[in-house]
Amino acid sequence: MEIVISLNQITKQFKKQTAVNNISTVIHKGELVAILGPNGAGKSTTLLMMLGLIEPTNGEITLMGDHPKHKRNRERIGAMLQEVSMIDALTVMEVIQLFRSYYPQPMAFEQLISITGLQEEDLKKRADKLSGGQKRRLSFALALAGDPEIIFFDEPTVGMDTSARRNFWRTVEEMNKKGKTVIFTTHYLQEADDVAKRIILFNQGKIIADGAPIDIKRKLTASSVSFAANDFISLEMLATIAYVMKVVEKDGRVFLETDHTDEVLEEIFARKIKVKDINIHHGRLDEAFEQLTRRGGEFVESSLDAV
Amino acid sequence: MNPVWMQCKAEILRIFRNPYFVFWSLFMPILFYFLFTNVFNVGMGDEWHAHFLMSVTCFSVMGSAIMTLGIRLVEERTKGWSMFMRLTPLSDGAYFFAKMVGQTMIHIFSIIIIFTVGSFINNVTLTISQWLLCGMWILLGSFPFLALGTLVGLMKKVDTASGVSNVIYMGLAILGGMWMPMEIMPKFIQSIAQWIPSFHFGSGAWEMVRGNAPSLVNISVLIGYLIVFVVLSIYIRRKQEVVV
Ligand SMILES: Nc1ncnc2c1ncn2[C@@H]1O[C@H](COP(=O)(O)OP(=O)(O)OP(=O)(O)O)[C@@H](O)[C@H]1O
Ligand SMILES: [Mg+2]
Repeated sequence: MEIVISLNQITKQFKKQTAVNNISTVIHKGELVAILGPNGAGKSTTLLMMLGLIEPTNGEITLMGDHPKHKRNRERIGAMLQEVSMIDALTVMEVIQLFRSYYPQPMAFEQLISITGLQEEDLKKRADKLSGGQKRRLSFALALAGDPEIIFFDEPTVGMDTSARRNFWRTVEEMNKKGKTVIFTTHYLQEADDVAKRIILFNQGKIIADGAPIDIKRKLTASSVSFAANDFISLEMLATIAYVMKVVEKDGRVFLETDHTDEVLEEIFARKIKVKDINIHHGRLDEAFEQLTRRGGEFVESSLDAV
Repeated sequence: MNPVWMQCKAEILRIFRNPYFVFWSLFMPILFYFLFTNVFNVGMGDEWHAHFLMSVTCFSVMGSAIMTLGIRLVEERTKGWSMFMRLTPLSDGAYFFAKMVGQTMIHIFSIIIIFTVGSFINNVTLTISQWLLCGMWILLGSFPFLALGTLVGLMKKVDTASGVSNVIYMGLAILGGMWMPMEIMPKFIQSIAQWIPSFHFGSGAWEMVRGNAPSLVNISVLIGYLIVFVVLSIYIRRKQEVVV
C-alpha cells in the first residue's frame, strides 16, 4: 500500500520539555489509525507536526511525499484540532460556504449540512454562538469541506453527546470505506478499539506499542502471578514454566506474566517451589491502560516487549 | 466560487456585524459632530462645520483601521483561528488581502455615511469634486493607520492590544487636532503635531475643504509612516515566527 505519511526519527523539544522523543512510523493510504495515550503523551504535538503547523526539532516528516506545508497537501487534507475555535460573526451556513470555496473539489453543501447534524434553526445561528458540542460538529463538517484524502482529528468526540458521537463515527467509517486515510487521537482504549484498525500507543513522547487493537488489548490485559522474592528461587527456572511469558523481579517481588494464571499456580505448587505472599493480578482494559501509562510503571511497560 | 472574493465578502460581513464597529466608527463620530457643532461651539460658521466634518470622518476611519483590524488580528491568533486557516489552501497573502479589501470597503461606507449625515445636520455645502477628493484622501490616507493596525495585531493578548490601541488612538486623535482645532492648542502641542501622522491625515482634508490641495509635507509624512509601520510589522512578524 502507498505510504501517505512518514515520520522519520522525529523529536520535538519545547524549551526544556521533550514532547515527542525520537519516533518513527509510517501510515498507509486507507488506514484508520488511533493515536492513544494519556494527557501530555505527545499526541497533539505529533498530529500538529504531521499537519505542518509545528516543525519538528529533529527528524523528517513527509505528507504524501512532500513537506506537510506544501500547497498541494492543503487541498487534500482536513483536520479538526483539539481547541476548536470558530470564526465570529458568520452563520453556520456562511462558514460552510466560505470553506467550500477554498477547495477545488468541495463536498456538496447539503452533505456537509447533514454531517453537522444541526437543526434548521441552528444553521442560521452565528457559528461562535453555538454550544461547545455543536461547534465540534461544525468543525467536523469544516474538516471535510474539501473532501480530503487524509483526515486528522484531535480528540474529536470530546464534548459531543451520544448521538453526535455515533453520527461522527459512522461518517468516519464511511469515509474510510471510500479509501480515505483517517488519523485520530483519543484517551480511551475503548474508543480506539471500537473504531480503529490500528492503534499507536503513546506515552511520554514515545511510541510504546503499535499494532492491531486486538494485539494491543492483549498486551494491556496480560495477567501476572507474583510473590515475594527469595534467594532460593532461580528466575531462569521460573521462565521454563508453561504459559509464563516473562519473568521480572521488581521491588522485592517476582512477577510471572501469563495469560493462564491457574495453570502457572498449579505448576508452581507441583514443583514445590517455596513461594510466599502470592498475588494474582488481572489487567482489565482501562486499569491496565492506567498501569501502562503510569509514570514509573516499568514492569507492565517492559512486559509489552515479551508479548 | 472564487475563494478570495468569498473571503473579502466574509470580512466585510464580519465588520458590519460587529456592534463595536457600528458604535465607535459610526455612532460616536456622528454624535461628536452633532455636539461640537450644534451644542457647543455654535455659530462658528460654515467653514468650521466642513472642517469638523472632515475631522470626525478621519477620526472614524483611523479608529477602524487601528482598532478593528488590530484587535481582530490578535483575537484570531489567540483563539487559534489563524492556525486553523493555515490548514486550508487559502494562502496567507490572500487572507491578508481580503482583510485589507474588507477594511477599505468599510472605510468607504463610513465616509459616505458620515459625510451624508454630517452634511444634513449642518447643511455643509462643498462641491462634488471636493466631496470626492476628500473621500479619496481619507481612504488613501488610512493606509498608514492600517499598517499601524497590523502592528497592534502582533500583540500577544487581546487585552493588551485593546488597551494599547485605545491609548494610541486617543493620543493620535487629540494630538492630530481631530477633536479640537490645532489653532487653539498650546504651542508645544502644535509643534509636536507636525510629527504626528494623524495631524497630516486631517490637514489634507482640511486644506481641501478650504479649496487648497494637501501639502507635500502632508503626503510625505503619511508615506513615511506607512513605510516605517509596514517594515516594522514585517520585521516583528518574522521574528515571532522564528520563535515558534
Ligand atoms: N506549545 C508548547 N510549548 C511548550 N510545551 C508544550 C507545547 N505544546 C505541548 N507542550 C508540552 O508537550 C507535552 C505533550 O503535549 P501534547 O499536547 O502533545 O500532549 P497530548 O498527548 O496531546 O495531551 P492531551 O491528551 O492532554 O491533549 C506536554 O507536556 C506539554 O506540556
Ligand atoms: Mg492533545
